[in-house]
Amino acid sequence: MAIVEFRDVSRVYRNGEHEQRALDHVNLSLEEGQFIVVLGPSGAGKSTLLNMLGGLDSPTEGTILVNGKDISTLSADELAEYRAASVGFVFQSYNLIPTLTVIENVALVKEIAPNPLSSHDMLRAVGLEDHIHQFPAELSGGEQQRVSIARALAKNPHILLCDEPTGALDSETGVLVLRLLLSMARDMGKTIIIVTHNQNIARMADMVIRVKSGRIQSCEKQEHPLAVEEVDW
Amino acid sequence: MLLKKLFRTLWQYKAQFISMVIMIALGIGVFLGFNIEWYSLDVSTREIYDATGFADYRIFSDRGFTPEDLDRIRSVTGVDDATRYLSINTAVQGDTDVIALTVSTNMNVSGILLMDGAPYDETDPEGIWLSDSYAAANGKKIGDPLTLSYQTISVKGTVRGLIKSSEYLICVPDETQMMPDYTSYGYAYISPAMLDAAIPDMYRLFLGSSLYHQINVKSALEKSDFVEKADQALGTTRLILSRDETISWAETQGEIEEGQTMGSILPVLFLAIAILTMVTTMHRITASEKTQIGTLKALGFKDRRILRHYSCYALIIGLLGSALGIAIGYGLGRFILSPDGAMATYIDLPAWPLYAPAFTWIVIILINVFLTLIGCLSVRRMLAGTAADALRPYVPSRVRHLRMEESRRFKKLSFSTKWNLRDLLRHKSRSFMTLFGVIGCMVLLVGGLGMKNTMDAFLDIFYGKAIHYQYRVNLDTGSVTNEAAFRLADELDGDWCAQRAVQIGDKGYGLEIYSVTRDKVRFVDPNLNLVSLKDDGAYVCTRIARTWNLKEGDSLSFAPYDSDEHYTVRVAGILSSMTESVIMTSAAADRAGIPYTVSVIYTDQPDIPSGAHVLNTQSKKSIMDSFNTFMDLMNKMIWLLVIAAVVLGIVVLYNLGVMSYTERYREMATLKVIGFRDARIGRLLITQNLWLTFLGVLLGLPAGIGVLQYLLTALASEYELKLVLGPATYLISILLTFGVSLCVGLMISRKNSSIDMVAALKTEE
Repeated sequence: MAIVEFRDVSRVYRNGEHEQRALDHVNLSLEEGQFIVVLGPSGAGKSTLLNMLGGLDSPTEGTILVNGKDISTLSADELAEYRAASVGFVFQSYNLIPTLTVIENVALVKEIAPNPLSSHDMLRAVGLEDHIHQFPAELSGGEQQRVSIARALAKNPHILLCDEPTGALDSETGVLVLRLLLSMARDMGKTIIIVTHNQNIARMADMVIRVKSGRIQSCEKQEHPLAVEEVDW
Repeated sequence: MLLKKLFRTLWQYKAQFISMVIMIALGIGVFLGFNIEWYSLDVSTREIYDATGFADYRIFSDRGFTPEDLDRIRSVTGVDDATRYLSINTAVQGDTDVIALTVSTNMNVSGILLMDGAPYDETDPEGIWLSDSYAAANGKKIGDPLTLSYQTISVKGTVRGLIKSSEYLICVPDETQMMPDYTSYGYAYISPAMLDAAIPDMYRLFLGSSLYHQINVKSALEKSDFVEKADQALGTTRLILSRDETISWAETQGEIEEGQTMGSILPVLFLAIAILTMVTTMHRITASEKTQIGTLKALGFKDRRILRHYSCYALIIGLLGSALGIAIGYGLGRFILSPDGAMATYIDLPAWPLYAPAFTWIVIILINVFLTLIGCLSVRRMLAGTAADALRPYVPSRVRHLRMEESRRFKKLSFSTKWNLRDLLRHKSRSFMTLFGVIGCMVLLVGGLGMKNTMDAFLDIFYGKAIHYQYRVNLDTGSVTNEAAFRLADELDGDWCAQRAVQIGDKGYGLEIYSVTRDKVRFVDPNLNLVSLKDDGAYVCTRIARTWNLKEGDSLSFAPYDSDEHYTVRVAGILSSMTESVIMTSAAADRAGIPYTVSVIYTDQPDIPSGAHVLNTQSKKSIMDSFNTFMDLMNKMIWLLVIAAVVLGIVVLYNLGVMSYTERYREMATLKVIGFRDARIGRLLITQNLWLTFLGVLLGLPAGIGVLQYLLTALASEYELKLVLGPATYLISILLTFGVSLCVGLMISRKNSSIDMVAALKTEE
């Protein structure tokens, strides 16, 4: 069953006379519980695609259905509710709150998510149970990214959206983070969507979407995705 | 090219720049304004003192002074000039007005300044030179006839000229009247020739040529030196008052000192806030410009050039703020000192030019240098190290673990509490500045409104309750006997008072002896409670008590003038009084053997029999009416302070709020991405503001009371004020401060809806 559907979605940015079409009549259907990788060069529109799906931005044209619900016409508050309940975000630059400790950063979502998971469990799942009282600045980049994943998961979302989650990490830590994300899809049934321009990550994916100039260039299903260890990093 | 960048950056940080300019302008404006006020007053009063020969000493005698007495004083070494002088309150015929009829035999001393009409002519037998303010208030013109009467003597003449005189710079009949009221009280000069002509032969036989009860003297001698020499020259002890002891001099000097006090307290508050906010703002701006600073450095711009460029931001703020501040300063000066301004209702000066003391310009230049230095130092910090170092974005200080985090209670705190608490401690300077701004706002509100409460309480107790009569009948002590005065008091169903001048040490004071049997006069203790006088000694006012370190039970010695006697009495208590006086009951005075002549009767009866003993009558209403002007002035000043407080609060809180918002933009974007609603994020921001406001109110309240107490102490030589704060002052100050904080918080939190989550989260940390 399709958890996400893009129906003829376009996003146009206007700056005076200048008009930039970041997404151009995109049609897309994504299955639940899959590990999906969106590939494309810089400026191709892959982050815009992710932002649309995450409710950070709204399309200029078209409809986005998530679990059958149209999110393209939601108000600001409804979008906030959608983000709180349905999607988790992982960013390249972690975006943790520097004045909250690790556990507090994760527990933060309890304030808004309708069915949050245990913060301790999530931190245990990402292997950070020994760092819960540290501030983000006291952790390494990889550890911070794992906190960010724990926070995203603690909301118990259907979909986890990751924008270049390994972009700021060394390859060893990157592998660690990818393994974690993959296990979320495989073991917890979450739909993981990763935006990257790292071709290697695509080899782990159930589905690879290639974006170029705001259009979907291809949408390939991989019958036999590789395990993290099998990918040549 | 850098110039274009300069202006674009100014525009980019317009909120901070505008608020800084406003802060500097307010600081400089208040600083310059109050300094212009006292300095201009000082210069203008000195000018009229010089132009009219304001006397340095006044020698009094009930028996009057002869030309020979004058010669004796003139021959004293150190005396520059002297005059025989007469000033008596006379009734204006056909009116209830009172005019102080004045004669000076030598117009170089205690003379006049002609404003309009014919110059003074000492031989003119009919010429009257009338106070121009009195003339304006009563529609009198040059050429108008005027008849002034004193007992059975009438002085008929024509208004020849309109004048001002430094002897009547503050033209009030006595110290009980706070503000001049030219509609009912003024002054006029006539020539000695006219005075001579007006005195009936019979009087002349009786009085001889000793009509003049004063000799006014110009001398640079010290008072003790002068008193000794004058007493030696005249062969007897006389009441001698220095110019410090006259209403005109004392009150104008009081105003000047008040201006100096205001010119030192308020500007320090404003400028301190402005400079500290500048430090914080410039640091934040240069921090957020760090990569640009690094880029310029990497491109090959020399450090000196970059320093100069960024210092220009501070310099521009300083110059714009100074220009605006100078305009505000002169505006404030003009508001207080102008022919239609507040001070003109009080002090009768011929012109109101504005002068700024030289040091104010030096201070303004130093402020600009200092501001530029703040800018320069902020950039230097960002420029430190190599070009690569400069290129790295600014990293705010790390969050540190707090000791209280170990406690269970802390762990139970909500996310927003922890977030705000750590943010406050992480950005200490910003938090401190916000707190300082709130305290400043509170200080101004409590100070302004508290001053009104204090004055209201002062007026209420003294004029609402202590003056329990409708009319004050002044008797001619030269002709009245106590028996006649007692009869008149009985007839008028009134109480009476005998006033004498006494000396304690080398200072002159009033001695007031009361007989209060009909509750027409009441007395006030230092806590503003009404008290009854006991017969077991004398009471002193708080000013005398403070000067001579007296308390209840002490012994007090004083010597009435025109008498060789000394009297020692027990201090029965301390009173709060309008006049600087020793106060006692007639029974206590009789017991101490102090002779006196009744000089005032206090009554409710409107029909005062006109008799030889009655000099004039003052109604309570006329005294109260003069306060309306005073209260108008006070209300205007309070409005100014309240507006200044609100502007200060808004500017400081908005500036720092925007700064806080900018610094936490990324965190708020993260919260928004996670799913927090705008309103919730707004509440987070407002909560922090409210915490700081709460703390600021807690600290600002006692600080405001402290500043007010300091001001009242500075005013203590003029008024015996007791600090009073009404519940409304607490309520309005607190509500207004919280209101300002909440409004600014809402203004800033409204920005949440426009947070660009995508752009914010892409930015490198």
